[in-house]
Amino acid sequence: MRFIPFAMSLGFLIWVSPVQADSTLTEKHGCSSCHRFSAEASKEPAKTPDLFYAGNKFQKPWLEKFLQSPVVVRKVGTSTDPDFLKQPLTSTPPHPSLTEKEALAMADYLMSLTLPDLSQGTVDDVPLTKGTRVRVKILFERNYGCIACHEGINLAGQARGGISGPSLANAGNRLAADWVFHWLKTPKKFIAKGRMPYFNLDDESAVKLTKYILSLKVGDWK
Amino acid sequence: MTWKNPLKILFCGWLVLQLSGCGDSEKKTDEPPPAAKAAPETSSPPAPKISLVTAKTRETYQWYCSQCHGLKGKGDGVNARLLTVPPRDHTKADYLETRTDQQLFDAIKLGGLAVGRAPCMPSWGHTLDEKMIHSLVRYIRELCECEAF
Repeated sequence: MRFIPFAMSLGFLIWVSPVQADSTLTEKHGCSSCHRFSAEASKEPAKTPDLFYAGNKFQKPWLEKFLQSPVVVRKVGTSTDPDFLKQPLTSTPPHPSLTEKEALAMADYLMSLTLPDLSQGTVDDVPLTKGTRVRVKILFERNYGCIACHEGINLAGQARGGISGPSLANAGNRLAADWVFHWLKTPKKFIAKGRMPYFNLDDESAVKLTKYILSLKVGDWK
Repeated sequence: MTWKNPLKILFCGWLVLQLSGCGDSEKKTDEPPPAAKAAPETSSPPAPKISLVTAKTRETYQWYCSQCHGLKGKGDGVNARLLTVPPRDHTKADYLETRTDQQLFDAIKLGGLAVGRAPCMPSWGHTLDEKMIHSLVRYIRELCECEAF
């Protein structure tokens, strides 16, 4: 008989911990009221970033930290929101924060959400040489004008650039290289109609731009 | 040499200077970018004189252009105050009447840098078809209530 309370306690522990790494956690926090977890989830344009390819897009350590201590990536909202830019410029409402345990479980779940047909390993780990990085920085800022809508990092190490697109000032800690490459090459895989110009990049240019974007890092995120 | 030739030279020089930046506060670069050098070769065929401004034109302007140029084209989009070179105010005739429709078309299609203007203006030639770009040129003419002279 003394075994029964112990077994019940053990069962409770198994049920409670670790936090379930599945969609019940997103339901608990009402994530789907803002984010889409499948492309078919809604016919309406997304008011916040889609998460059905979160596992392709994000770096897990960044997700874990963001979910506990959210930072603003899109200073004027999400560009797919039909009301984007139509409202007076106000600060973006803060993203809810989770406990450490919940954040780790949520990051596990989000990293499991991937698109099946997205090739991996297109961008190798070899960083750009110093000279190439300077040339690609010119491509990023001048030839393609990315800096008009995205924050990059200036020579003083400060964020600099437009804010209608998500900040790229910490892209190197936030985004996955393969996802950036695919976004640059075929954005329609992820979004039916974005506000970013399409550049019809060849693979080599897309890889170089990806590596440059992934070199943009701030703070002590390592 | 007649006195008209130096005038032509002066006019050409003025034109080159005007094309070298997209804002009055434009800083000249040390050397022209590769895209700018290639601009004459990639220049598009002359813009047709008549192109309709439709609801889709306005919607396209609001969707893409307003990020920098503002919802009403006043050059006051959310990115404007953060750019080194202010986005063009499309309601100001004093500058836009010095631009031909072809120049506006090329700036939209090829981007600012390719036509010797500021690099803050990206190229939209792979995003918008030529018909829409022609239509946007006409919409800018509506906004500035001006034509090229």
